[in-house]
Amino acid sequence: MKLSQLLPRLSRHASLLVISFVIAFPFLWMITSSLKSDGEIRRFPPVLWPERPLWHNFSAAWEAAPFGQYLLNSVLVALVIVLIQIINSAMMAYALTHMNFRFKNALMAIILTNYMLPVSATYLPSYIILSKLGLIDTYTGLIISNAVSIFSIFLIRQAFMQLPKELAEAAKIDGAGHVRILFSILFPLARSSFIILALLTFITNYNNYFWPMLITKSPELSLVSAGLRSFFVEGGGYGMKWSLIMAGSTFTILPLLILFVIAQKWIIKGVSNAFSVNKG
Amino acid sequence: MKLKLKRFRKWGEIQVLWFAIPAMIPLTVFWILPMFYIIYLSMTDWDLMSPVKTFVGLENYTYLFKDPEFYQSLQTTLIFTVGSVIPTMIGGLLLALLLSSKLAGSGIYRAIIFSPWVTPTVAVSIVWAWIFEPRSGMANAILSELGMQTVPWLQNSVWAMVAILIVTIWKGLGWVMVFYLIALQSVPESLREAAHMDGAGRLTCFFKVTLPLISPTTFFLFIIQTIDSLQAYDQINILTQGGPAGSTRTVLYLYYQAAFDQFNVGQASAVALLLVVFTALFSLASMFMSRRSVHYLS
Repeated sequence: MKLSQLLPRLSRHASLLVISFVIAFPFLWMITSSLKSDGEIRRFPPVLWPERPLWHNFSAAWEAAPFGQYLLNSVLVALVIVLIQIINSAMMAYALTHMNFRFKNALMAIILTNYMLPVSATYLPSYIILSKLGLIDTYTGLIISNAVSIFSIFLIRQAFMQLPKELAEAAKIDGAGHVRILFSILFPLARSSFIILALLTFITNYNNYFWPMLITKSPELSLVSAGLRSFFVEGGGYGMKWSLIMAGSTFTILPLLILFVIAQKWIIKGVSNAFSVNKG
Repeated sequence: MKLKLKRFRKWGEIQVLWFAIPAMIPLTVFWILPMFYIIYLSMTDWDLMSPVKTFVGLENYTYLFKDPEFYQSLQTTLIFTVGSVIPTMIGGLLLALLLSSKLAGSGIYRAIIFSPWVTPTVAVSIVWAWIFEPRSGMANAILSELGMQTVPWLQNSVWAMVAILIVTIWKGLGWVMVFYLIALQSVPESLREAAHMDGAGRLTCFFKVTLPLISPTTFFLFIIQTIDSLQAYDQINILTQGGPAGSTRTVLYLYYQAAFDQFNVGQASAVALLLVVFTALFSLASMFMSRRSVHYLS
């Protein structure tokens, strides 16, 4: 390789290395901080790596608050919501793409309008509706209020529109009903969109903070973000025990970073595909 | 025959109902109904507990427009939106440019830069709260290493906003970058070469060829990012709770405080409805403007 080609390439590597380090720094700092002793963590200027890493800080934090319970709660709630959204988005998208009915355009208009509304505006009335239904402080309430996602419906609708119409027509001639066509023909063909839906919905709901915190009052029902936040405020005494707080943050963040490492290509491709879909 | 067809059509529509119902029920109860309900609530003085709701007409709105706290929150929202959207978009575009042509290991760089987007805002904000800790935090250590004055970050009304903006930009950069990467790939190499032949330098080429061609992506990102920033809550709640002295209290934060801390349902609903109106007006205005300035390559 010629020097004139090598130099710009090297400088690009250099700047990208620096940027990547800066962006990853909070994660690295979180981990090294959770290994420090109380004295070490308050030292200024800070030490980058503890002299003697205290791995037992992790077990201390794990015992100081029910992180296992919180994580289980979040994963469970997110998985149930993913499952429901896969089914109801598929059915709705099927109705919008493969069935003819009178109010189709009206239905599409309703869905589109809701897409532009800020979700947070609905929180107060939705909270009142849930409390009238007697579903405050239950997972039923939390799950049904997150059961539909307009984004998911759009994503699957787009996937179904791209499949050749003849497939469904041929199946219909062979005597297949709508349910069969949807679940044994379209569903497997559009599976990459369903994987993207599952990943993005899982991440969104695992990370969700304000709404779940509002709905679940009992501490044992807390999802992980709300649980971590109360540990930060009460257990951690707002900065009294930073190493334990960082260990707790690690429990919360690490599962998602691991998921991201495994499904990185899907998530990145999914985000860009899924959103650019809605441009048209 | 005709009767049969009609009956068939009816049966078909009942089937449609079955397919739409699993999504329509939650959509109606938690999206459509709340929008009408909040209009009604904004004209009452309800406190979430008492059995009576008195109808007060537009009183909540007139009160709001006289309330200095509301104006402060509007200003804060504007600062936060401009301060987060513009740097995120410019930064994301620059990163995409840096990664757009072939480079070994670019997949790893891309993944690292994108990774903050995946992580829970509450947890990463707590990590940032530790970085911004005034006495032994990393942010001040870096400042003093560079020979600069340390700052009280979250305790100061200007620096608190800066801190929240840093967290928000850090989390959004990779997201924007991914969209620009795809947009840049779709810019035909032949066009850039043609511009080079005509004697255009790299900068001219970027501003006259690339930038106009990726403007649909810019436009789309601008809308999505703005709507997102109007809804930012988690990082503000963790880092500052809207303080100090309301300097980081956005309109959304004001709405949540009125609703769920003060149980002032009427006021809160009025704020929420104004937020909906802003969002809608903003979307419409940008769509209107885009007709004149966005270039679509067809």
